[in-house]
Amino acid sequence: MEQEAQLVQQCLQGDGSAWEELVRQHSRRVFNICYRFTGNRTEAEDLAQDVFLRIYKTLGSYRSAYGGFATWMTSVTRNLLIDHYRRSKRDRITDSLDDAMPVVENKASSARRPDEQALLGELSSQVQSALTRLSPELREAVILRDLQQLDYSEIQTVLAVPEGTVKSRINRGRIELARILQQMGVRPS
Amino acid sequence: MTWTCEQTELLLTDYLDGLLQPEHQHAFDLHVNTCERCTPLVAGVTHAIAKLRALPELETPPRLVYNILDATLGPRETVTGWAAVRAWVRSLASPRFAYGSASIAATFLMLITASGFNWKKPKLADLSPVNIARNTNRQANLAYARGKKYVSDLRVVYEIQSRLRQDNELPTNNEGAAPESTPRKEPGRTDGTNPASPRQQNRARAPGDVLTAPGKRNDVTSPLQVLAEELPFLSGKLSLVLIEGRSR
Repeated sequence: MEQEAQLVQQCLQGDGSAWEELVRQHSRRVFNICYRFTGNRTEAEDLAQDVFLRIYKTLGSYRSAYGGFATWMTSVTRNLLIDHYRRSKRDRITDSLDDAMPVVENKASSARRPDEQALLGELSSQVQSALTRLSPELREAVILRDLQQLDYSEIQTVLAVPEGTVKSRINRGRIELARILQQMGVRPS
Repeated sequence: MTWTCEQTELLLTDYLDGLLQPEHQHAFDLHVNTCERCTPLVAGVTHAIAKLRALPELETPPRLVYNILDATLGPRETVTGWAAVRAWVRSLASPRFAYGSASIAATFLMLITASGFNWKKPKLADLSPVNIARNTNRQANLAYARGKKYVSDLRVVYEIQSRLRQDNELPTNNEGAAPESTPRKEPGRTDGTNPASPRQQNRARAPGDVLTAPGKRNDVTSPLQVLAEELPFLSGKLSLVLIEGRSR
């Protein structure tokens, strides 16, 4: 953590190599969060780039007391993903979230490249698809807990909600995910 | 403590994370084991979490880091001429490239050696496709022939061992045993002839036969002689064994 704070300080002093080091250390994690949230590789790549642009611009506002650079970065990523979701939702001009989600899924599926499809075949595409069908607030909670392995206090910091709400969202997200998987025919053996 | 389905649903995450109080945990277990609605719910959520956690972390797209650096620090200076060549050569010194090169070189050496290339007297002609094909074919045939010979030798050894073992067991088996009414079949013998028949005995007393007493064969040499009759191509090797046996 101290090393990251030092890297941030160097970045703020204009050290390009320190910034490059930070980007290399965290780009994979940020890209994975974006991909699991959107279910689309190209979109996730663009969003990850936007996340780092925003971090670069707001690096001065980072305080090590916040809870670690990774948590702060996850928080920025989450805010950008939610902004992106709201923007794309507005673009789609849909009435309800439940109607909108399948459209997102279809759009995402049609935009996938063949290599991405093959990759998804290996990586349980049904799980990714089910994840994309969760509402954004449940999805982000499940991603942070079960994919990023964050603990409750970190998730609480990232989402800026009380711990009880975090637990409730994770719980509802998992139950909803299980229900969607069951509808898709993915049942426990 | 009475436990309801609503409580199960509400506290499922606490249960799965092991955060429930012991008495709640017990009540939860009791309820889930008997409730038709909650049993599949817990199984389904446990399965979903396992599936989620099994999703592997994706690799970063190759251009992502450069795109971010270009967008934040500005485009990098493009290197041209000898500086570019030097940078390219330096990039070859990475461990991944060295490992890949070593693997390719080792594979190439193995293939060339397997095709019969003589490293002591290398000739350029040995590397022509026709010669490589011919040498590979020759090596394959040699390997096959050696394998075949090895298997054949093994069979002979096992045959000798079984004969010796059988010969050692014979006296003990015969003691007190009723005389056999049907001719006994020797292992490996398919013609149904009895080796103790006069014809066989006469053949066995051909030159080279060893008798320890009139009408009685040496224990060790007897099966070897029978083997030599059955497998004539081994007669040269077996005669050596017989001579050694006689000298003892």
